[in-house]
Amino acid sequence: MQFPEYKDPVERKGEINNMKVGTFPGGLNLGSIASDTSTFHEVPSSGTVIIPLKQYSGKACEPAVKKKDEVKVGSIIGESTGNDDASVHATVSGVVTNIFKKYPDMKGGTVPAIEIESDSKNELDVTVFEGTDIELIQKAGVVDLDIDAVPLHSKIALAKEKSVNTLIVNGVDVESQFSSRAVLLSEYAGEIAAGIDIISKLLGVTSVHIGVIEKASSAISSISSACSTAQVVGLKDKHPQSLRELLVKAILGKEIPQGGIPEDIGVTVISAETALFVARAVNDKKPVIERFITVAGGGLSKSKNVLVRIGTPIKEVLDYCGVSVGGAGKVIIGGPMMGTAIHSTDMPITKETTGIFVQNENEIAEFPSGVCIKCGLCIDICPMKLMPFLISGLSEAGKYAMAEKNDIHGCNECGCCSYVCPVLIPMVHWIKFGKSEIRAQRSSE
Amino acid sequence: MKTPELVVSTIPHVHGGNSVQKMMINFMIALLPAAGMSVYFFGPGAIVVIAISVVSAVAWEFIIQKVMGRPLAISNLTGAASGLVFAMMLPPTAPWWMICIGTFIIILLGKEVYGGLGNNPFNGVLIAWLVLQMSFRGEMAGWIYVAGEFLTESTPLEILKFEGLESIPEYFTIADLFIGRTTGFIGEVSAIALLIGGVFLIVRRVISWHIPVSFMIGVVFLSGIFWLMNPEECADPIFHLLAGGVFLAAFFVATDMPSSPTTPIGMLTYGFLCGLVTMVIRQWGAWDDGAFYSVFLISMLTPLLDKIKPKAYGR
Repeated sequence: MQFPEYKDPVERKGEINNMKVGTFPGGLNLGSIASDTSTFHEVPSSGTVIIPLKQYSGKACEPAVKKKDEVKVGSIIGESTGNDDASVHATVSGVVTNIFKKYPDMKGGTVPAIEIESDSKNELDVTVFEGTDIELIQKAGVVDLDIDAVPLHSKIALAKEKSVNTLIVNGVDVESQFSSRAVLLSEYAGEIAAGIDIISKLLGVTSVHIGVIEKASSAISSISSACSTAQVVGLKDKHPQSLRELLVKAILGKEIPQGGIPEDIGVTVISAETALFVARAVNDKKPVIERFITVAGGGLSKSKNVLVRIGTPIKEVLDYCGVSVGGAGKVIIGGPMMGTAIHSTDMPITKETTGIFVQNENEIAEFPSGVCIKCGLCIDICPMKLMPFLISGLSEAGKYAMAEKNDIHGCNECGCCSYVCPVLIPMVHWIKFGKSEIRAQRSSE
Repeated sequence: MKTPELVVSTIPHVHGGNSVQKMMINFMIALLPAAGMSVYFFGPGAIVVIAISVVSAVAWEFIIQKVMGRPLAISNLTGAASGLVFAMMLPPTAPWWMICIGTFIIILLGKEVYGGLGNNPFNGVLIAWLVLQMSFRGEMAGWIYVAGEFLTESTPLEILKFEGLESIPEYFTIADLFIGRTTGFIGEVSAIALLIGGVFLIVRRVISWHIPVSFMIGVVFLSGIFWLMNPEECADPIFHLLAGGVFLAAFFVATDMPSSPTTPIGMLTYGFLCGLVTMVIRQWGAWDDGAFYSVFLISMLTPLLDKIKPKAYGR
């Protein structure tokens, strides 16, 4: 066995300074909010949790428990049966008080959900998971904890089918205002490295890249010393660097074909949290029952990084962080550029929650839509090299065929175009509208 | 606990704070060095022209929008900015009634008749300038001769056209052209002041570099060919770049947003063609300077040039 050559810290620092730095054309430097800690605060477990049975892209699990059943932390309450679902576990010990058939889903529509009243003992379920690595991942309910949460076992199966040879680990926070991924990389570098090893063995990949924002220096130094097999790539702090299309572009210089997935060009992208939970699932046989997120905005001068149990209502997280939603404010799951505004703070934290951003009434941006003056700023900024004003104008006018010809499906809805628009045209809104109209036309045909 | 009322809307939830008003403020700040130079050389006459132009443009905008029953849009400052850049394209002795006719044309025929800012296919300032140039030929050539400073009352390009290349060194050096110690339209004479303003505009990203740079490349390219073929009669590229309205047209007129292309390749083509047509007019045309007229001609190609799309990601 070969050991990596010993290098003293000074030398290693030089290595980091000579690190390959990647980026992509276009995009915005939004700056970032200072974070108050370098570690995670644990949000105390609450009285009642609501756990949706679909917290990923795919179909919902069947409930594995009945009303009034007793559950413990880690008990399976929804079992994965196939390739398009992931197991769901109880995150507190207590009694199942309600099984909702239709609970509002953050991504639209409804999902079944299970309500558990906690006995505040937090007893652990002692049933031990058995099986191969991939079965353990499925049983632990690991999903790719990113903007679209795909169940990991199906992602790995797809990657094998498409003979993927490169793995990219996304260490870039979903948005510049968040810092949870950078902190995770520096705090849990060992476990993440172990997870990366397991995944790369399962995939049989030859090269592994970890993309981290250039200025997150402690994350870079700890992950590069913990993970010797992977190449750490520094990335310029630009929105939307966290999207897989632009990670592939910045790290490998390749482009994913329009409407395709990274697997089409032999690349799989997973997030850093995913690697951490894979290590816990395989080595410690622990299911995914919590999430590392950042809470920012809402009068907080510094963002807070917290560890939250899945199913905790968002209002408890906000209360814990001392965030107030003044007047008619906005609570956004995800960041200010790409997140979803929610209608109620009773909604639970799920595996899909990437962070929480709160705006007070006077901070809410409005887009009253003026007349386009053809300044070209949106074309300049578009990371996907589209003509946003043209596509959004065509969608607004109902010319969907022409919008498709102008690559409406190439838009990844990062929000840059509306952000820079001097006449405040809600371009992303029109583009999303156009896409949904095209989908509706297709499905009616 | 009562659930707070929450606002739900689509992304993005923040805006960078850019506005037409901010862009126009930057645009006018960028013209201040050129305006200052004109006042230094031409005296208070230049201030009067600038003031009449800006005030009348805003007044016409107010009146026309009221009459047409449109929402008032004076506060976005496009009228004031048009008035300022229009003043830069007038001689220092321009009479007040001519300026008012010009600004009326800018606002009505250049903008409002098409439905307001953003819908205009042409740069209103150029339409007005061309109308005045064709209607009031004498008034539009009312140059000021400053005794002691200037050696001639003709513009450099008039000397080139009517007296020939050999007389130029008698009146001007390259440094004179660069600083603006010549006569001409009040804003076009000082290349250095326009360059400072233009760089400011690019840095503040009110305009992108594509049009000004390719405009100048176009001028240098064609004048270079003429000069290499016939250095006895044709002026060198540096002279053509600094004399006349190339700097003003490249930075402040050709970059008018609604009438110029939006894509990088479109902008480069547009600028280059403007430069070529400028030189064609100077070399073979009846007018001594074609910088502004060329922009008007090439802006007709804008819808066509906008068809040159950037290569989309993953295509």
